Amino acid sequence: MSQITAIETQGLTKRFGEFTAVADLDLRVDTGTVVSLLGPNGAGKTTTVRMLATLLRPDAGSARVAGYDVVREAAQVRALIALTGQFAALDKNLTASENLVLMARLRGRGRRDAAIVADRLIERFAIDEFRNRLVKKLSGGERRRVDLAAGLIDTPHVLVLDEPTTGLDPRSRQVVWSTIRSLVDDGVTLLLTTQYLEEADALADRVVLIDRGREVAAGTPAQLKTQVGAQRVDVIAADATEFARVSELLDGRFEVSRSAEQRTVSVAAPDEAEDLAAVAAVVARAGVQVDEIALRRPTLDDAFLALTGHVAHEDPRTESRFDESQPTEVAA
Amino acid sequence: MSAITASAPAPVRVSGVAAPARFVRDTALLTVRSLRAIPRVPERLLDVTIQPIVFILLFLYVFGSAIHVPGVSYKDYLFPGIIGQSLAFGIIGAGVATSHDMTEGVIDRFRSMPISRLSIISAQVMGQFCEQVLGLTIVVVFGLILGWDPHLTAPHAIELVALMFLGMLAFTWMGVLLGMLVRSPDAMQGVGFIVIFPLAFLAGTFVPIAGMDAVPRAIAQWDPISALVGTVRGLTEGFHSTGSWQLVHPELAMALWCLVIIAVCVPLALRRFNRTLAG
Repeated sequence: MSQITAIETQGLTKRFGEFTAVADLDLRVDTGTVVSLLGPNGAGKTTTVRMLATLLRPDAGSARVAGYDVVREAAQVRALIALTGQFAALDKNLTASENLVLMARLRGRGRRDAAIVADRLIERFAIDEFRNRLVKKLSGGERRRVDLAAGLIDTPHVLVLDEPTTGLDPRSRQVVWSTIRSLVDDGVTLLLTTQYLEEADALADRVVLIDRGREVAAGTPAQLKTQVGAQRVDVIAADATEFARVSELLDGRFEVSRSAEQRTVSVAAPDEAEDLAAVAAVVARAGVQVDEIALRRPTLDDAFLALTGHVAHEDPRTESRFDESQPTEVAA
Repeated sequence: MSAITASAPAPVRVSGVAAPARFVRDTALLTVRSLRAIPRVPERLLDVTIQPIVFILLFLYVFGSAIHVPGVSYKDYLFPGIIGQSLAFGIIGAGVATSHDMTEGVIDRFRSMPISRLSIISAQVMGQFCEQVLGLTIVVVFGLILGWDPHLTAPHAIELVALMFLGMLAFTWMGVLLGMLVRSPDAMQGVGFIVIFPLAFLAGTFVPIAGMDAVPRAIAQWDPISALVGTVRGLTEGFHSTGSWQLVHPELAMALWCLVIIAVCVPLALRRFNRTLAG
């Protein structure tokens, strides 16, 4: 028997006036898999997930969640999907624990049952330490954990996480990642949007790269990484003159790309540490003044460059909460 | 792996509770949620308490000596006006709070949950209504402390309380509707300042309508807030103005105004809310 697809969109399109946020998007998430929607700010990620969560009506095309149409069968979709956005969807004037109890009660649990569910989530997401603190007093990472927990009162058929780690410090990001990994281990079907190639790589089975509301590439993280290339060595020169020297020095010996404004020469480093050592040796011998030489993972920008031949478009109108009924907010 | 990989989606949960009962329960849960914010963000109440108190002090002890209303002490003339003004400012308060609340992320969470969307807006109205009641109670108690003497008989007291509840309900709905239309708390403050502020001043609030210039007098004679102020004044002081039908029959006029406001604002607010949701 055919397995019901968790999410399937066909020609999904959303416009805001002149601006096309999502254009003709075909997306498929199989049950039990993790798909990441990867793209820069303004690529249409949030608009897409808001349509899937029945918060926005598509202008064209269709979207189905577990076989239910998001427009015509919105009530069924709402019972099956849980969305956790980049803006904590919690009541700031309630404590972490009160929020979880409220969400459980709104999902039909009785008073006692709701308390039990909340306690279980508090334990699972390590919220106990700050369970009685008001949400507005929580740190970004703590808030995100409560937010995730609030989406998991009833195990959803599909969990949608919209930029779960944007704006978090590296330590909180690790905590959120490990939380997401444990959900994935439990077999949750997950659609995850992110601006970080690293995050898509760490969590997803399949990555869909989008830009200006369109799919530009798709594949497994391994396939994308092969196309994007391995790590890179970045050399940041001390000033413009030194940048010119470094640039001249490394060009020809290595495969490089340059950014004059950031005084950075970036070298492809398929052999990683060996390449780092080689680049450092060349720079040291020539006695060029540099601020930093570092090995780094490819970023979203590198991926766009490699897969589409151009850099990612940062749309100044961040799509964050871009819908016609609300004032546009810029991500904090 | 858990049941999530099963080939069929989890059956859509149709709660054993009937839809109207669910609506009442969800509304109650969401109302309690917004009321819990009052002790935690007490400054929300300042809008509906500090402003009337400032006006009381200003008019009682600063301007009042220059205003002479025949047949009644200025103190007893002033407090009904202040009550009318407080109710009118409640529109602004409810609007500002609503435009703010609707941009909160938690509303998105509620919208994407399998709960009745009508319950979200009903709870917003209930929460704001309770804040208005609390604010007005504080203003009335303050007035009584300062020596306001409403000459109320029991039937008049009941009539007054009933009409005030009706008025607050109507004005809260109006505020919630405006709050959803204007999109930002600042814009709501602006609308309040340009439209509601003057109407609240013209309504025979601080000085008799009869003494106004022709144009403001004409507006004041048909200002809904005049009916409100006239109602409070009539019931507490037996004091009636003349000049238009609604000033002669303020109780009936006020009840009609409130019913009209409710009949217009409720369907519009619901439509607006559903549209906002569906995008």
